[in-house]
Amino acid sequence: MGLITKLLFFPVTGPVAGIRWTLGKVQRVVEDELVDDTPIKQELMELQMLVELGDIDDEEYLQRESVLMQRLRDVREWRERLGMATAGGPVRVARESTKDE
Amino acid sequence: MTEPQAVRTDTPVLPQPGLTQPSVDGKYVYCIIRLDKPKDFGSVGIGGGQRVYTVHFRDLAAIVSDTPLVIYDPTREHVLAHEFVNETVMREFTVIPMSFGTVFRSEDDVTELLRSTYQAFSDVLDKMQDKIEFGLKVLWEREKVIANLERENDEIRRLKDEISRNTASSTYFARMQLGRLVEAALEGVQSRYVADIHEALKPVAVASRSNKVIGDRMIVNAAFLVDRTQEHAFDERVKEVSRRYEDLLTFKYTGPWPPYNFVNIKLKLEKAN
Repeated sequence: MGLITKLLFFPVTGPVAGIRWTLGKVQRVVEDELVDDTPIKQELMELQMLVELGDIDDEEYLQRESVLMQRLRDVREWRERLGMATAGGPVRVARESTKDE
Repeated sequence: MTEPQAVRTDTPVLPQPGLTQPSVDGKYVYCIIRLDKPKDFGSVGIGGGQRVYTVHFRDLAAIVSDTPLVIYDPTREHVLAHEFVNETVMREFTVIPMSFGTVFRSEDDVTELLRSTYQAFSDVLDKMQDKIEFGLKVLWEREKVIANLERENDEIRRLKDEISRNTASSTYFARMQLGRLVEAALEGVQSRYVADIHEALKPVAVASRSNKVIGDRMIVNAAFLVDRTQEHAFDERVKEVSRRYEDLLTFKYTGPWPPYNFVNIKLKLEKAN
């Protein structure tokens, strides 16, 4: 039945499935960007370098730093929303499964 | 030489959305040392000069200060406060630094950390006994290095002369050839510099680690683990090698740091909300 259905509905299901797949992929890429803080940390280190070398002044540093901090917070929020692990915040030693508590 | 200078934060840290009601029972952990009696390190903690003190388990101590249960943004202000405490403790003790922003919910949770990781902490403290870390970043002045190449490399100089003499079509190929030649020579020079710097410092260091370079001018981003008895010798070597390349390279030399790049204990931590 699967094959027949496919053949019968090919003109319809084909493109639709294709579009869905593309959307899914696009969404994945967008999500990956939303939840990845590595490029932000990289930028923070570069910014640090710029101020150390005297290429930018303190005022500009602080201003650009606050933009990066906001982006870090956004990433954290997305990660939380998508149920992913986040760095920072209160932690405790993970309970071992063998331990009774 | 020691940088960055410590700047204390005086602004209250605002809780991040999505967290529960902040309380001040939390403990911010800076580092782990070997010490079996309580000690006060002064009001230098993160979040506006909190008192820095010790939490103990057997002969281990965690250096902590009180904090609301918040997420600390890695701003320069916060990072420097974290660093200042570690520097203060390091003057007297061998430290295992904690990563920035580690907050526990209570003193009991900190004790649990020391108890459950006791063996690993003890082993690493033995290994790191009297060892400190130095950071070395080296940046080059590309234009100056190229100018230097043109003086030293006959082939490059010859091509350059040819190009400046000719205005005809042959210069196009000469230019391409020159570009390729310069690129290859630059690569060679860079790896020679890097090797030379490492060679000069290796004999006075216990270990070294190369990190990813930051930005496009950096050719070295390394950390060196140095025995305290070798601190002066290491210092001298860095000065010596930086004098050797005075006109071509910029040396950014920092430390002493806690051995961030040479301690790798993976803690099994989970969220505590």
